[in-house]
Amino acid sequence: MEVQLIKIEKRSDVSRSIYFLTPVLAIFLTLFGGGIIFYILGFNPIEALKFFFITPISDLYGLSELLVKATPLCLIAIGLSFCFKSNNWNIGAEGQLIFGGIVGGGVALLFYNHDGFYVLPIIILSGAIGGMLFAIIPAILKTYFNTNEILVSLMLVYVAKLLLDYLVVGPWSNPEGFNFPETRQFSESARMPILFDGLRIHAGIFITLITVFLSWLILYKTYLGFQIKVSGLSLKTAKYAGYKGKIMIIIVFMISGACAGLAGVGEITGPIGQLHRNISPDYGFTAIIVAFLGRLNPVGIIFASLIVALTYLGAETAQIFLQVPKYTGQVFQGMILFFLLGSDYLLFFKIKFLGLKKNEL
Amino acid sequence: MNTKLKVSEISKIYPGCIANDKVSLEFGSGKIYALLGENGAGKSTLVKILSGVVKPDKGEVFLNDESIKLNSPLDAKKNNIGMVFQHFNLFETLSVFENLSIDSDKKDEDIRLLVNDILQKYNFKIDLDIPVLNLSAGQKQKVEIIRCLIRNPKVLIMDEPTSVLTEQETDDLFISLKQFSKDGILIIYITHKLKEVLSLCDEVAVMRKGKVVSVSNTIDEKIESLANKMVGENLNTIKKKINNFKNSQEILKITNLNFKSDDPYETNLNNLNLSLKKGECLGIAGISGNGQNELFQILSGEIITEGTSIMFRNKEIGKLNPRERREYLMAFSPEDRISQAAVPELKIYENVALNNFKSSNFFEKGLVNEKKIKEHSKKILSNFSVNTNNVELKSQFLSGGNLQKLIIGRELITSPELLVCFNPTWGLDVGAINYIHETLIQINEQGKSSILISTDNDELLKLSDRICVIYKGKLSKIMNADTVTAEKLGILMGGGSID
Repeated sequence: MEVQLIKIEKRSDVSRSIYFLTPVLAIFLTLFGGGIIFYILGFNPIEALKFFFITPISDLYGLSELLVKATPLCLIAIGLSFCFKSNNWNIGAEGQLIFGGIVGGGVALLFYNHDGFYVLPIIILSGAIGGMLFAIIPAILKTYFNTNEILVSLMLVYVAKLLLDYLVVGPWSNPEGFNFPETRQFSESARMPILFDGLRIHAGIFITLITVFLSWLILYKTYLGFQIKVSGLSLKTAKYAGYKGKIMIIIVFMISGACAGLAGVGEITGPIGQLHRNISPDYGFTAIIVAFLGRLNPVGIIFASLIVALTYLGAETAQIFLQVPKYTGQVFQGMILFFLLGSDYLLFFKIKFLGLKKNEL
Repeated sequence: MNTKLKVSEISKIYPGCIANDKVSLEFGSGKIYALLGENGAGKSTLVKILSGVVKPDKGEVFLNDESIKLNSPLDAKKNNIGMVFQHFNLFETLSVFENLSIDSDKKDEDIRLLVNDILQKYNFKIDLDIPVLNLSAGQKQKVEIIRCLIRNPKVLIMDEPTSVLTEQETDDLFISLKQFSKDGILIIYITHKLKEVLSLCDEVAVMRKGKVVSVSNTIDEKIESLANKMVGENLNTIKKKINNFKNSQEILKITNLNFKSDDPYETNLNNLNLSLKKGECLGIAGISGNGQNELFQILSGEIITEGTSIMFRNKEIGKLNPRERREYLMAFSPEDRISQAAVPELKIYENVALNNFKSSNFFEKGLVNEKKIKEHSKKILSNFSVNTNNVELKSQFLSGGNLQKLIIGRELITSPELLVCFNPTWGLDVGAINYIHETLIQINEQGKSSILISTDNDELLKLSDRICVIYKGKLSKIMNADTVTAEKLGILMGGGSID
């Protein structure tokens, strides 16, 4: 006789509390999984996790660094949430970030010996437009030529990366730079104002916060947001309601590209101050995790960006104190996504423990 | 080698619908059996149970008097039950041979010998080494069939196999199926095409609303008798007073409308002509899959056509999308109320906002006017007696009947001149059906027009002023409802003609 101990049942409705609790569960599972990995590597797991998640933010400088990393992540993820909510899979935010950086950086170089309050806004705007234009490519190809936006947006990342490579090695390289693959330093008026002396946290955080607020407004309070929501839930319904699907695809890609472009320009005018090969440690890809960890919800994304930013910092401290490679950070990011997808199973199914019935044995 | 297959008291209940209700059937080898029924009659569920895709809630399957458990498609394979689905399950980029050998434990050479034998025996001509994507639909189907044949099936189940075939391919398929049957394979043929049943099958079981309503020899049946069994022949005595609209103003006119689809699973529409007068209800009958879906989408604007082909209140609307058509006072209630007419995850008031008129001001200057939408929603809930007054409720918690009342209410509260509805009472209980029917009669009495596309003949005869039948994408002559009988509809629905 077959005895079932556990029964898995489909939930009739997704409860809202579980919807926002599963990301928390995923984070705890990640900590647990991380602890096991550290244990296998021969470290005391509690100590190691402390180095990873507590030490980096135990002083003011660390907190500032956390915000420096969270700023671009949050900005990109907010943009991506427009795409993901409407079932458009923009995987190429990294490329849009780099292209925004290229355009913004190009303008900054143009103004390298100019001063004036107008310089920075022009650079920021051009960066946003750059990212936007780059994101329009997969959108147009998807709407008019039926291509798959996942592939196109992803492959365009490498186009942007190689273009940046070419520019910093070739035409835009610093004439006084001894052939290092980098451009001139941008002028002071092309740099994001620093908020506190001695810390790297810069005015880009305000751009991010304003964008989060505007996004919340658009997503929840406007007709466009309503259309995005409906199309994400059911394309059939969107068609039946008469929404202009093609234009909407292009709009969400534009929003998402502009956000990534802003993030790129924020990096080069903020902490970096010039263009070189590695202007982004894969913020564009990591932001995908941030977007989902934050449940595509503006407030959720703010929290998620802080947590994921911490994995970047933790990896650096762990490298210093534990001599583990900084790629551990990516392992943690991967684990968060893995456990998040895993615990999403609980959204739709519930597990019932039936226990043993004596007469069946 | 005699094979007997028996299903006994099979029941399968999905939330809100009984897909199979104590279905019992017996099959024996040497014959071809038809399983006939409308979409949603329960035949696909039964077939999925036989192929191990779906587990029944109750009941048993017996193969040669032995009870068998079909917990997965693998179990069906082990019991030599082969299945060819309507939508092919082939790897397009792999070669024919790779597709055949991919899930087999036998050596490649042995499979090749086996396949070549089958090719010869049944006179199939297929190159084994070209990619599947280069094959025609008929050839792909043959690959699926061969995939079953190399496992020496005792039972072969074909699900709507001719929906993507040409006439010639259909003829070829029938010859092969008859040959398989002679070789002792029990064949179960699922379809809603009446002619195929008569020309191919020996016995026919008709399903309706989850139940087997009749089992008979095909020799004793005619197209009309089968059609009536499929859609129900109990004519309701309550009937709308049929009006004569000779002097009414024409509100909608479709002339020479053609639609050709790129999707082989869709039906092309040929040379449609119809007109509709103010206050009139035009019923469009037909067995599902004959182009009703496409016709509805053309009327709603989900499919855009030439501007001049559709005139509504003297305006060309063929090129307008659904939202634009609504501004001209058209309203639409699609067949799929659960995932098209409404979004289950959205709240009631959000679903109401899907029908957005400029004058209703739901979205002023691009901003959501939640207060206005909620007021409007409350009005719908009370005017159309939906069983809740909570506009924040997600629509997935409404029963089918209440959801349909909400949708019809949403469409009608703006006083449209024309309502197009497609199977508005599908799957509803009697109370809700009566309510919807009364509502539809009422709008005609108020001088508004309606087009009722339905696969339910009772409903059509009850509500329509004029009726026509759609068959293979073509409309029959439009007849006055008082001259139409269920028999006439049956003949036309099966592709026959009347004077």
